Amino acid sequence: MKLKEIERTANQAWSPASHHPIFLATGTSAQQLDASFSTNAALEIFELDFGDPSLDMKLRGSLPTHNRFHKLIWGGFGMGSDGSSGVIVSGGDNGAVTLYSATKVLAGGKETIIGQNEKHSGPVRALDFNPFQNNLLATGANDSEIYIWDLNNFSVPMTPGANSQPDFSINRVLRNKQVQSISSRVDKKKLKCYWQKLKLNSPFIYFSLNPNRMRCSGMEWHPEVATQLVLASEDDRMPVIQMWDLRFATSPLKVLENHTKGILSICWSQADPELLLSSAKDNKILCWNPNTGEVIYELPTSNQWCFDVQWCPRSPVVLSAAAFDGRISIYSVMGGNLVAQQLSQADKISSSFNNLDPFGTGQPLPPLQVPQHVAQTTVVQPLKKPPKWIRQPVGACFAFGGKLITFDNPKAAPQQAQQLFPRQVFISQVTTETQFLQRSNELQAVLQSSDFINYCQSKIRTAQSEFERSVWNFLKKVNFEQDARSKFLNLLGYSKEEVKKKISSCLGHSLKNKDQETDTSDLEEKLQDLPDSTAGGDASTSSADFFDHIPENRPKFEIPIAADTDGLIGQALLIGSFEEAVELCLSDGRFADAIILAVAGGEGLLRKTQQKYFINQKSKITSLLSSIVTHSWREIVQSCDLGNWKEALAALLTYAKAEEFSTLCDTLGSRLEVEGDGTQRVQACLCYICSGNVEKLVQCWVKNHESSLPLALEDLVEKVMMLQKSMEVQQGTEVPIKGSVLAEKLTQYASLLAAQGSLAVAMSYLPANTNESSVLQLRDRLFHSQGEAVLGLQPPPFPFAQVQVDKGPHVAPSAPVTGQPTEVQRPTPKPFQQAPHQPGFTPLVPAQPSVQPSLPPVFSPPASAAAPPPSPSFVPLSSAAPSGAAGTAANVYSRVGMLPSYPKHPTSSPGTVPSSGPVVPGSPLRSPSYQATNPLPPPSQPGFHPPVPQGLPSTPTSTPVLQHLYSYPAGAGYTQGPLGMPSLSFTSTTAPPPPPPTGPRDGWNDPPNVHGMLRRKKLPENYTAPAPITAPVMSFPAEPQPLHSQVPSAKEVVFAPPGAPKEASMQLEKYRPQSQLPAEKIERKAIPSEHLFLKTTFDKMVQCCYLAAGDPQTKRKLDDATKRLENLYDKLREHTLSPNILGGLHEIAHCIECRNYQQALSIHTQVVSSSNFSEISAFMPVLKVVMTVANKLNV
Amino acid sequence: VSVINTVDTSHEDMIHDAQMDYYGTRLATCSSDRSVKIFDVKNGGQILVADLRGHEGPVWQVAWAHPMYGNILASCSYDRKVIIWKEENGTWDKMYEYTGHDSSVNSVCWAPHDFGLILACGSSDGAVSLLTHTGDGQWEVKKISNAHTIGCNAVSWAPAVVPGSLVDQPSGQKPNYVKRFVSGGCDNLVKLWNIEEDGQWKDDQKLEAHSDWVRDVAWAPSIGLPTSSIASCSQDGRVFIWTCDDPSGNAWTAKELHKFNDVVWHVSWSITGNILAVSGGDNKVTLWKESVDGQWVCISDINKGQSAVSTITEGQQNEQ
Repeated sequence: MKLKEIERTANQAWSPASHHPIFLATGTSAQQLDASFSTNAALEIFELDFGDPSLDMKLRGSLPTHNRFHKLIWGGFGMGSDGSSGVIVSGGDNGAVTLYSATKVLAGGKETIIGQNEKHSGPVRALDFNPFQNNLLATGANDSEIYIWDLNNFSVPMTPGANSQPDFSINRVLRNKQVQSISSRVDKKKLKCYWQKLKLNSPFIYFSLNPNRMRCSGMEWHPEVATQLVLASEDDRMPVIQMWDLRFATSPLKVLENHTKGILSICWSQADPELLLSSAKDNKILCWNPNTGEVIYELPTSNQWCFDVQWCPRSPVVLSAAAFDGRISIYSVMGGNLVAQQLSQADKISSSFNNLDPFGTGQPLPPLQVPQHVAQTTVVQPLKKPPKWIRQPVGACFAFGGKLITFDNPKAAPQQAQQLFPRQVFISQVTTETQFLQRSNELQAVLQSSDFINYCQSKIRTAQSEFERSVWNFLKKVNFEQDARSKFLNLLGYSKEEVKKKISSCLGHSLKNKDQETDTSDLEEKLQDLPDSTAGGDASTSSADFFDHIPENRPKFEIPIAADTDGLIGQALLIGSFEEAVELCLSDGRFADAIILAVAGGEGLLRKTQQKYFINQKSKITSLLSSIVTHSWREIVQSCDLGNWKEALAALLTYAKAEEFSTLCDTLGSRLEVEGDGTQRVQACLCYICSGNVEKLVQCWVKNHESSLPLALEDLVEKVMMLQKSMEVQQGTEVPIKGSVLAEKLTQYASLLAAQGSLAVAMSYLPANTNESSVLQLRDRLFHSQGEAVLGLQPPPFPFAQVQVDKGPHVAPSAPVTGQPTEVQRPTPKPFQQAPHQPGFTPLVPAQPSVQPSLPPVFSPPASAAAPPPSPSFVPLSSAAPSGAAGTAANVYSRVGMLPSYPKHPTSSPGTVPSSGPVVPGSPLRSPSYQATNPLPPPSQPGFHPPVPQGLPSTPTSTPVLQHLYSYPAGAGYTQGPLGMPSLSFTSTTAPPPPPPTGPRDGWNDPPNVHGMLRRKKLPENYTAPAPITAPVMSFPAEPQPLHSQVPSAKEVVFAPPGAPKEASMQLEKYRPQSQLPAEKIERKAIPSEHLFLKTTFDKMVQCCYLAAGDPQTKRKLDDATKRLENLYDKLREHTLSPNILGGLHEIAHCIECRNYQQALSIHTQVVSSSNFSEISAFMPVLKVVMTVANKLNV
Repeated sequence: VSVINTVDTSHEDMIHDAQMDYYGTRLATCSSDRSVKIFDVKNGGQILVADLRGHEGPVWQVAWAHPMYGNILASCSYDRKVIIWKEENGTWDKMYEYTGHDSSVNSVCWAPHDFGLILACGSSDGAVSLLTHTGDGQWEVKKISNAHTIGCNAVSWAPAVVPGSLVDQPSGQKPNYVKRFVSGGCDNLVKLWNIEEDGQWKDDQKLEAHSDWVRDVAWAPSIGLPTSSIASCSQDGRVFIWTCDDPSGNAWTAKELHKFNDVVWHVSWSITGNILAVSGGDNKVTLWKESVDGQWVCISDINKGQSAVSTITEGQQNEQ
């Protein structure tokens, strides 16, 4: 596909591969003149900008020059360090080699020429840089002299071959184009190669190839194999490219022939050694695979010679071609479509003329009709061979559960067989959060072992912060230890013992004193006296004082009745008016008195007094006292100073009732959260832990902690799970996880675990009772990704709305895709529900009890049907059968036990139903493929029920056969045991094949189902052909033989004749050629009942022979006989045999029954001699063979 | 990182892609031998489930559709075809074949399931095709011509998020997703595409930073943050992470993850979007993670695990 175009007759050079962006330098060609005969010359640089869809290239730099150019190259010398664009070297007339600074040309600056030398004589046509050392330049000119220049010191060249060589550090090959043949003075027939090894400071080694009389137009070194190179011949009589190897320098390795005229230019892709470009005088530009000699691409080119082709070093799909028509074209080898560009080009040409009225005719010109170039408008194909650069060799991608799928392709030498490498894909587990995982595992272990206390203990030990430690302490105590509340108190710094100790140390002194003065009993006495003596007691506010003072006050007793307060109180008391007395006390500030009085005055008064006391009294302790006395814990919780939250919590722990405890804790917690400062907010968690409120804990935690990082999340989950477990321990039941935040966090946690590969663990954390879609999705994914590991569980419901995607009509039916045998056995569980055949059987069974249900349809002659019913189902069916047979044999075998009962209870439908059980393993095998290939709704189901009456007429005829068939096992063959078993099992496996066709076929014949028939007719031919084939073919030999034959032989006999492929992939091709055969057979009628005896007898004889025959040769004979006897049966069906033959056959059969083979043979001879040979030739000889065998084997 | 399963694919030529399905239980591989294989790799096993033949050239990429559409796999090949395969009752079969490209189809990517069953395909003919399943086995094709001159190498869909309300979205009503995808190509560009009101796809952003072919692009899965991230890798050995905090999705900034010494072929985000796997031409796979301060750090060098394998094979080769 053409990408760009430059209207220049010029030599070209791409910017070096390491240069960005991609430039193309052009230098006016010295060999030709353009149409204008202009003698100007210029060096120009264009940019290849793929962002611009037009064909133009942007001119980035231009430099007028004196000389025209014979050759132009662009090297990377000096590039990289300072944004330099390297050096452009030109070869001109008069042996001039000129160096331009590309940077300066691009910048439009001066001093663009950085070096010039005219050492050569004549035009310099060969230039090349050393690919490994970009300061080394080789030049060649007409004088057959080759110089090597060091750009660091451009003045003096080196001459290869001379003795004084500078030190070349070349590790492989100096990739030169040492040329050339254009000048008459150079030996055209020889090509010289030089190289020098680094270590041996040896002179140049000189090699000479002698391409026989070849005028060499181009030469390229192999990009990878150091000793190989290609030469192109410009001779029209020998337009070939030769590939040489210096190790076998006598003749070329390979000759690439396709051009019809001399080759002008070649270029070997550096990106892919299997791409070699050539342009020739036949106007073609070809791309070769030099290894195979195959042309893998032909460029759609103009009608002009292209004198130079070059791959773009940086963008390997791009190449440029300079042609004599004055254009340099840029192409892509990957193909594409050019329509858009074509249009733009037409526009351009149109507008380049003055469309309006260039000739003053008064009429605008019609739009230019640009002839459509066929080659350009058609789709351009890409390279035939995928280029190397497009073949991704390595990859790594993630999959669910932190798995990483990686593959790589070891680099191999191109010639080496690729098959040597195992093509492996690695599935790795990526675990990035090892600490997280470790902790998660610990947690998991603990959760399972219920060793919570130790876990908490260890957490406490390792806790990093005070808070962390207290949290763990709380968790531990709360939950897993007895008497949790007091433990909490301890944690808050209120240990009962300690407080007592403190109090006693505070009181200690006075108590001791007291003890010294009075003994305890004394004190008690006094106390007992108290109620009486209160009125007289000194007002003392502190209890300690009170106790102290009692003894001292004792002796005096006086009831004051004065008018002062004391007196009034006394008076009030005397009249029993407690209330007033209390009132008086209170107003006087004598609270103790008041309370003591109130106690005496009754409950109501006491409460009132307390209230008043608390209202009046504003000491620090009162609110606590108040709350404790009045039991209003709520008040503590709601109004305490948050600095005292610990105390409040302690109070709650001490006093609050169990039922309100957790709410109170929560209230305190939420206050801390809402009103508290930074640390208090965090400590709200402790409250929640006390209350066991998991959800609140999580909320609080999430608010105050970074929890999206894995370890932080682990921190949280550890706590939550502990709390959760403790609640469970306390309540003795499973506590469901509730709350959206918790659910979210747990989901997060689970998905993190999943990402680290702990799928099962992750699953256990997922909250169960939620309909959050993310949770459901994760669970579904976790479940299925674990495969069989969680088989015990019910799969979770699919969390997405299932969308049914059907196969479109676009698919060509000719491209069947076959699964591997392994796959065939897989689907068994599903099809059971879907297989439509099974229900279809049951109506048949009662109708024709003694007949195996699957058979009638096979025999039923579809009188009306001209064309065999197309049943797409059958293609995969039959193919599945043989491959599946081995697999299902075991199943069937195990069920064989059911079969013997079949003949015994022929009429009992319940008995027969199980006997159709063995059918099942067969039918599921078919139904999947049936549905997969059939774009129409499966017709078998509608078609299946109506057929019952249809099938009836035909069944009587087949009945005897079947009865025979089934009664046979009771006979000799059956008693053989081991042999009989497999043969029986075989019956069951062969029986299934008929059912699938029965559906469609009956539907076919069934008048009500005409629609289905019409629809089916539209199916493509290749579906119809294979469909019916196998049904009759397979069922036919199946009837008599399996009973007698051994399993292996049965397989051969039964399946092989119909050509049922053993491999699924062979199906279509295998079947098509046989389509004619079954097309006839499908119309077969049943054998007339009077002649059925012949068939059974003959078949039996063959079977007996088969069983008795020892050598494979005989068996083969018998196989053949089985086939040929079909001819006889066909004739019987068609009533085409003359009566005397029929009579003879019956006689023969009777003799066979009596095992009188001699007699039978003689009758045979009579019949043969007296009959028309053509009538009997198909079967009589074989009958004789069988009888002879039978006679010999004495069966 | 530890290898837990090694699947011997028995491909007869280079493997070009290997993808796990949604559940991580089945592996699809594709190869230059023109086949696509599906393995059941549950519990460390490897059972060949299907060997899909239908392509006539090397198969470059495979992509699993979301399971809500059934078991569907798309593959693309040098033969210019895209084939969509479907499993019906255990049998894999061709469901649809798209032949609308004129050159090698290099990349296929299914849109997030919320958008419907949409497949984006990038081709060497420079076009990107969008195949939308419209029911009844019909596929609607939209082709963006000349998306990347001389070739599109990779396509990747943006996760389904609603602009503006990236974290919380009202439940109940059907969210108004913005369909976007990113592509990278031989024009060294990373382009972001979104659908205009008239139903046409338009490149509303061109991200320029690479100096050579963009080999792969990968839009990071959404992790609930309002930031979008795209990783791109190139022939020039550079890997860039492009991020955009802007809800309108227009202000993208590039950060160079690393400059490798060889071409970087492939980038892949972990499901949780926090790790990037980078695979390069030196057969090396490295894992990168963004540290807390926003720097990308190489956390693993998987080559260690596999270099052993490759040296063994080299050894075998030498013996022969």
